[in-house]
Amino acid sequence: MDSEFRTQLLGTVGRWSLVLALVLALLLLSAVPFSITGFGDVRPFFALMAVYYWSILASAPPVGVFAFGLVLDLLSGYPPGMNALVLVAAQAMTAHQRKFLLGQSFLVIWAGFAVVAFCAGSVQWVLFSLLNLTVMAVLPVLIAVALSALMFPLCVLPLAAVYRVVADRPETP
Amino acid sequence: MPLKTVTVRATPAVLVFLSLSLMILYRAHTLPVQRLRTAVMDVTAPALSAVAAPIQSFVSNISGVASLQNLKAENVRLKADNARLQKWYEAALELKAENESFRQLLNVKADPAMSFVTARVVSDAGGAFVKSVLLPVGARDHVQMDSAVMSGQGLIGRVVEVGAAASRVLLITDLNSDIPVIVQGTRIRAILAGENGDLMRLERLPPDSGMTVGTQVVTSGDGGQLPAGLPVGTIVSVSAKGVWVKPLSNLNRLVYVQVVNAALNPALATGDIAPASQSDGQ
Repeated sequence: MDSEFRTQLLGTVGRWSLVLALVLALLLLSAVPFSITGFGDVRPFFALMAVYYWSILASAPPVGVFAFGLVLDLLSGYPPGMNALVLVAAQAMTAHQRKFLLGQSFLVIWAGFAVVAFCAGSVQWVLFSLLNLTVMAVLPVLIAVALSALMFPLCVLPLAAVYRVVADRPETP
Repeated sequence: MPLKTVTVRATPAVLVFLSLSLMILYRAHTLPVQRLRTAVMDVTAPALSAVAAPIQSFVSNISGVASLQNLKAENVRLKADNARLQKWYEAALELKAENESFRQLLNVKADPAMSFVTARVVSDAGGAFVKSVLLPVGARDHVQMDSAVMSGQGLIGRVVEVGAAASRVLLITDLNSDIPVIVQGTRIRAILAGENGDLMRLERLPPDSGMTVGTQVVTSGDGGQLPAGLPVGTIVSVSAKGVWVKPLSNLNRLVYVQVVNAALNPALATGDIAPASQSDGQ
């Protein structure tokens, strides 16, 4: 094994380890109990932020996103497929608009996320209402959407940093 | 169009369809998800346990700084509370002795002894739609299915999934939680149903049951799943829209909880109760 190949291999392993560590951190952040609002356990869609932002920067594998959503479902007590569906749909939606979003300022990307978060919250609300055969409360979902939109710029910083290292590109939108 | 392009374009649609199918099969109770879910719980609980403690102490430190200003007032209040509770403690000791002597006189068979497992809440990922928490204790810690779970103040839920090293607790405020209860001082039985909000609704009350605000609600033990007499909540609103109960515990800030392993009669749960033998009660 020549040294150049070894360096390349170590670099690849290191980069993917970084991605894996961030995915695990997102899972933990979505699951660990903490209350950042006076509204109980309503929390931002952390996983959605990562899927949206990375789908703009690069094409994330839909099967990986599906698997991540499924683990999140099993961990959170959701019906299996709920987070998986929302994340895969969000990724497909973002990928469709990728060329447009890549050339835009951060404000437009931020506004785009607010739309995606609203759609994700609405889809979950409809599906939960259908599965439970009742009309679920709307306010907690709207709070989660608003919190997600507000916290997006803060959460994008580590996502952008990891992307810069993994893709070896100094610039991100 | 090349096959690869078709595959790439069709993948998200196939995955969305798969997700919907999974949800419908799960809802129809035809999907054996339980084992997979407990496996994921068992794997993630240790990691969550390691992360939960520092995050919870960080959050409580922040709120601690905010409450430093109120320390003096709180100290005065706690001293007054302590003096008041000391009197209650003495009264409780007297009542306990009196109760024991009455039990001996009447030859009453005491309820089966209960054992407790204390655990830290490591996950409450349900968010706006599911009210449940994850505990890093499971079958190897003798946690059983349907065990009652208490915080310091009252019942918070019951165990609905048990893995080897982790278990999931469905909170009493969840939409799918129905607890058989008794309204204290009235002997009226009802079902306490979760509504996914902060309050729970008392259902199947007899007409003109005359509920009053401030009355406490305790478990009735009906159905044999939960022990009788565990405090659950207090009636906070009685109106034409229904009778609403507030949990005694703050379910949004759970840190340590106790799983109650009562040695219940399994026949109660199945309804298969054999007639008492002649020697009983003699």
